[in-house]
This record gives sequence, structure tokens and C-alpha cells, in this order.
Amino acid sequence: MELKFYIESGIIESFVLGLATEEEVEELQHMRRLYPELDTEVEFVERRLERAAFDEPAMPPVEIRERVLQKIRWEEGHGHSDPSSNYTFINIQPKDGNHILVHRWWKIFFIIFFIMSKVFLFLAIFYYLKYRMSQEQQRSDNLHQMIRQEQTQSPLL
Amino acid sequence: MLIERLVIGDSAAKELLYDRYAGALYNITLQLVPVKERANEVVVKVFHWSFLHIGTFRTSGHRTLFTWLLRKTREFAIKEALPETALTGTELMKQEEGILQQFYLILPADQQQVFRLSYFKGLSITTIARLLALPEAQINEILKEAMKSFRQFLKKTWN
Repeated sequence: MELKFYIESGIIESFVLGLATEEEVEELQHMRRLYPELDTEVEFVERRLERAAFDEPAMPPVEIRERVLQKIRWEEGHGHSDPSSNYTFINIQPKDGNHILVHRWWKIFFIIFFIMSKVFLFLAIFYYLKYRMSQEQQRSDNLHQMIRQEQTQSPLL
Repeated sequence: MLIERLVIGDSAAKELLYDRYAGALYNITLQLVPVKERANEVVVKVFHWSFLHIGTFRTSGHRTLFTWLLRKTREFAIKEALPETALTGTELMKQEEGILQQFYLILPADQQQVFRLSYFKGLSITTIARLLALPEAQINEILKEAMKSFRQFLKKTWN
């Protein structure tokens, strides 16, 4: 009798529509454990609501189905390859023979190559200037030495 | 069984789920979000969500996939719903045809108001009580009466 009163209170309908509070949901789940026949009643209510909704379905536009299914196909394509998948692969590569397709590692290689070439260029200029300076220094040292030698020889003359 | 196939990620089962429930859910979505573009978004989101969370169906307390999906549909629809002032009137074509609208229209005025704010707008009892300047206990009682009426409505029409 108490269970009948509980069912007739509309608690199941409230749960099914998502209007029951957390406490009410907990209570209902507790009652379902105590009285398994409540499960049948929940199923009755859900089936009634399902029948009511199915009585007047309104199909969403076709593109909505496509969007939903596209997601499934995309997941499949990234999870495991399915030969039955009806994906259409569109090749957007120009066919004029002027373009080539390379691996993405080439991009990193070219960046490193570019940086290294700049470093070597800098070092080359640096050592060239250093070499030039040392040559100048040596030439001026030689010149000084020659002048000094001339100066030491001239008093004797 | 469909649920088991969905749990293992069977794509044919996912298509079947869509084909079986999209129409009924879309009908209810249009009652909650009378703007077609937004209703479309809700349907897409519900199915994407269901494919990811099918594992939670068994612990949800629901016995049918339809009501499990319906619950989520309402959640997404409430998020997508426009304020009534933003509606032009031309989008409301589906509102008086659906099951929930049919039920809503047979309720007495006080239950109509509370049910509309609770189910269609997703407001909590506390917020409804504040809006209508009534005690929470009274709002609770009104909603319970509405749920009893809903039980009778379902039993009478689709038993």
C-alpha cells in the first residue's frame, strides 16, 4: 500500500523527466533496491513516454545525420582503419609537376640548416677579421723592427 | 543487443541509435528550443555525448535508452535556449504539437507556471520560489501535483 502511494506520488515521472532533486533520486534508488518491482514501474513509465514521443516524430534535417555520422567515421579513421568506410579522399595536390611532397622532418632540417649557416657565416667573418687584424699587427711589428734596426745602424754610419 | 554493441564502439550500432531515436528526440527538442538551428545543434551534441558516455547508461537508473537520451537532450536544450524576448514567433510552430506541450496545456495555471519554469527553463525550486515570491515548500507541492497529473496523462493516453 505504501509502495503504491509512493509510485502514485509521481516520483518516477519526476525522475524520468530529470526534475527530481538529488535527495529524491537517492531515495528512489534506495527504494528500487528494497523493492525490485519499482524497476518494472520505472520501465513502464519510460516506455509510455517513449511511445508518446514516437507517436509524432520529427526527423532532423539530413545534414544533421551526416554531421553525427561524420564524427563516427572520423573516430574510426583515427582509431582503426575500416576498409568499408565510405570516406571520399580528396587529393588537393596540384598536378602541374612543379610541386613535390616532402616529409615534415625536412622543415626542421631546413630550419637547423638555416641557423647553422648563419652561425658559420658569423664565425667566418669573425675569424677573417681576426686574421686580418693579426696580419696587420704582424706587418706593423715588422715595420717597427725594421725602423729600429735602421736606427741602430745609422749612428755607426 | 544495441547497448552492448554501443559499448564496444560498433559504428553500425551508433547509426542505428541515431536512426531509431533522432526523430522522437528532435520533436521534443523543438518543444524546448523552438529555433531550428539551435535544435539541430542540440541533437548533434546529444548523439556525440551518447557515443562517448554510453558506459554510464547502466548506472544512470534509466531502463530505456530513449529516456536516458531525453534527459541529456533537455540539459543541452536548456543551455541552447534563447530568452523568450529573442523569439520572433515564426519559430514556435512545433510548440503546441508535442507531448510535453499537450500535457502543459491541460494543467491548471499554477502548475503550468511551475512546470514551465522547472522543465522548459531548467530553473531550480529555490529560483522559482524567489521568482514567484512563494515559499519553496509550496513550489515543491505544486510540482508534485504536476507530476501526479503527468502520470495520469501518460497512463490515460499511452498505457
